[in-house]
This record gives sequence, structure tokens and C-alpha cells, in this order.
Amino acid sequence: MHLPHSTLKQEFVKKWIMGLQRCKFSNKKMSIFERKKAIKLSADTAMASARKGLTCWSRALISNPDRPVPTTTRRASSACKKIVKRSRRIRRTAKCGAARKGQITRSIAQCLVRKRTQILKSLIPGGEFMNEVCLIEETLDYITSLRVQVDVMRSLASASAHN
Amino acid sequence: MESNAGTTETRSNVTVPDGGEVAAFESLQFTDEIHRLISAPGTDNASSFTALLELPATQVVELLHSPESVKLIVASAPNVEDFKGSFHFPSNTGLIQKDARFSVFSGEGNNKNEKSNSPEMTSKNSSANLEKAVKSEPAETVSSLPLVSDPTMENRNIKRKDREKKVKGSTKKSKTATNERLEDAEKLPYVHVRARRGQATDSHSLAERARREKINARMKLLQELVPGCNKISGTALVLDEIINHVQSLQRQVEFLSMRLATVNPRIDFNLDSLFTPESGSTMDGGNFPSLVTPLIWPDVQVNGYRQQFQHQWHFDTLKQPIWGREEVCNNYVTLENSLLSCDSSANSAATLHANQLKMEL
Repeated sequence: MHLPHSTLKQEFVKKWIMGLQRCKFSNKKMSIFERKKAIKLSADTAMASARKGLTCWSRALISNPDRPVPTTTRRASSACKKIVKRSRRIRRTAKCGAARKGQITRSIAQCLVRKRTQILKSLIPGGEFMNEVCLIEETLDYITSLRVQVDVMRSLASASAHN
Repeated sequence: MESNAGTTETRSNVTVPDGGEVAAFESLQFTDEIHRLISAPGTDNASSFTALLELPATQVVELLHSPESVKLIVASAPNVEDFKGSFHFPSNTGLIQKDARFSVFSGEGNNKNEKSNSPEMTSKNSSANLEKAVKSEPAETVSSLPLVSDPTMENRNIKRKDREKKVKGSTKKSKTATNERLEDAEKLPYVHVRARRGQATDSHSLAERARREKINARMKLLQELVPGCNKISGTALVLDEIINHVQSLQRQVEFLSMRLATVNPRIDFNLDSLFTPESGSTMDGGNFPSLVTPLIWPDVQVNGYRQQFQHQWHFDTLKQPIWGREEVCNNYVTLENSLLSCDSSANSAATLHANQLKMEL
């Protein structure tokens, strides 16, 4: 059953509040980073459990909640440079066999796609174990859940900042 | 549509009991925001997809008149397990728009038994020529029409995997068998693909093609979900956009959680007192007002970490295609404004606190 946006939000909010309660923040000496980690952890698990185990990424996220922090890498430009170099090399060798140009471009495209699917697999929790079809379905679901999460958190933060 | 009706119902349920809550905490705009947030109508995705869903019926009629033989059995029902969200997974829509000659139906991967159908299919495939198949096609499409209209209109729960695997030389089948097949169509677990003219018809390439069509259908959905992907052609670039989108969303979550961490201590105190036994939607209205209580402390904290975050903010706003970029920018601006206002008032104290915290860490 497709959960519409609003009900997913409600589910997430409910579960997140429960999770926040459970984390004991009474210890004031907890540093801000630990607090942030706890908040994020509770939010992630709430989001994943809101899907009620129907998706692969939610199960993976619940079982392994610690994810590497997304770093701002310039992977796109470096990958492109490598591919351009490789394509130049291939094109030089292929000048002799001009008939293979279609194959070459196809192989370059396949290489690009393969690199990107690898990156996507690293992004989605539990993505390394999926085949391509499942991966795309999981990203769809994951993106919608992330949006819900960001929505709720942002409204919460902005509202608290207002007052 | 059922799900839309469902959303409206839930929405009304949310608002009615919250009326009392809102009245009690009227002065707090926080509750209004939360209510608005929760009871906001579904995203635009819903409208676009439901509009697309009207296509199947018309497309089927179109295809009926096409000279090529197309048997279109539309699998409309989205997979219960895989998808939720504002869109109904109309896996057929992308496929309907394909070449009329090529009938591929997107259904969901399912392990229901279809043993009864496979022998039918093989017998069907073994004999007769294309012309006979053409004649049988329209009949089948006609018989499939009522089936098509029903699922598209009524129920999203039924899993329908209707793909017909037909080699070019497909047999002319009796009506009863086809009707049977159509009725059993709901339980087909196999992927059936029609071979194009002049293409290899061995099972491997057919399966490969079916798989590719599946992937392409889902990629189309992803393109519609991620903003700004509609105009891009080419799988690699679309994947690039998707990756950027996911990364930016994850970074937003990180940043927002850090921001909420500064606010946190107040939340703890008041949640315990106000966290009455859950009454579904009313709980949301009841709890959030507690978070609004004066937050003097967090403002001081946030200043110390402002510089760290600013780089990230600017990078996010400038470089990455963020979902809802405009509103994100606005939020950043408002945050900075609020921080600046705090800055002027408690500058020295802020730096002192920040230094202390850093030493603690």
C-alpha cells in the first residue's frame, strides 16, 4: 500500500518523539556531538521503522544504524577525467578499426553507468547487496523517506528558533 | 482514487481532534506549523501520477487501432511492498508511451505461482503465424479492456504482473484460453516480453530486454521524483543527479540534527511532562508546544558552531541541486538572521561559551 506523504510524516513524527524520549539526555555533560549523533540515530531509526520493514534499506538501516558521514568529495570531476583519458586512449587505438566506434561509445557509457551505480550503492543503506532493479526501487523509497525526515526536522528546528 | 480518499480521511482525522489542542495553544505558532506540516496535502507527485494513470484506458483504445499487433495487458497496480509515498507506482505508464509494436508490461517482482499459465503460453507460442496473431490480438485487447479499466480505477492493492512472452510466431489461441490467461494474469510471476521484428528471439536476449525495460521504467519514475531530471537524457547523467540529490538530503539531515542538538535540553524536560498516552494524532498537537518554551541557552551554543556550518550551507546552496532549493535558501537566510540578532546581543558571552565547549571536547 502506498503510504501517502502525510501519513508517513505522522508515523515518523510519532516514532521520533518516542525515540527522543528514550534517549536519556538528563546527563548534561553530554557533548553537542554526542547529542547530535543521538538525535540523528533516533531520527533514522524512526524513519526506517515507519516503513515497517517493507523495504530493504529500512531493514539494513535498523540493523546497522551507523553510517559514514557523507563527505563532500569531488568524485564526479575526477571520475570524468579518468573516463575522458581512457576514452582518448581507446579512440587512438580504435582509429585503425573504425567499425568498433559504436561499441566503444557503448562501453564508455556502460562504464559511466557502472561507476554511478556503485556510488549509489554506497549511498543507500544496504545497497551493496541489491541488484540494479531493487536498487532503483529502494532509492525511490529512500528519497521520499529522506524528504519526510528533512521536512519534519526543518519545521521543528525553525519553529523552535522562532520562539 | 482510493489512496487519495484515504489521505483525505486521515487528514480530517488529524485536524478534528487537534482543534481543541490548537485552541489551547493558540499563541504558539509552532503548533500551527506542525499541523500545517502534517496535514499538508500530498505532494505534486500524486497529481502527476494520477493524471498519468488516466492514460492506460485511452492508450489501449489507441493501440487497438494500430496496424501492428499489440496485446496490451496493463499491469496497473503498484506493488504494495515496494512503494509508498505520494505517487501511485504506475509502472505501466512509461511503458504505455513506448512504441506500439513493443508491448512490455511492468509489473512487480512477485513470486506467485503461475505454473498454469506457462504451458498455455508455450503452446501458444509454438504455432501459427503473425497474421493470426494479429487477428487474435484485437480480440484479446478487447477482452483485456474491462480488466484494464477496473484495476486502474479501483484498486491499487492487487498485484498484477501481466507480461506476455511471445516469440514472433505466436499461435492463434482460443478465446477461452486467452480469457483464462487474462484472468490468471493477476498471478503471473514471469516477465513476458514480445520480441521486436528482426531482433533475436532466444530466451537470453528476451530476458535481458525485459530486465532492461524494467530498469528503464523505474528510472523514469526516479526522474520524475528528482527535480530537474526531466530534461536530462542519458542514464549516467540522471544517475548523477540522483546521487547528488540523495547526498544533499543526507547532508541536510546531518545538519538539521546538529542544529536540533543545540535545542535539545529543553525538549527533554518538557516531553516527559507532556507526553500523555498516545492518542494517535492528538499526540502531535500535545507535544510540540512543549518544545516552544524559552530557549535562551541554545542561541549561545549555535553561535560557536556557526562558522563550521556556514561553509557547508554555502556549498549546499550554490553547488548542489537541492530539493526545494528555494525554501532551503530561505531557511538558511532566516537562520543566519536569527543568529545575527543573537550575535549582536550576546557576542562576548557567545565566544566565551564556544571556547569553553571546544576545550571540553
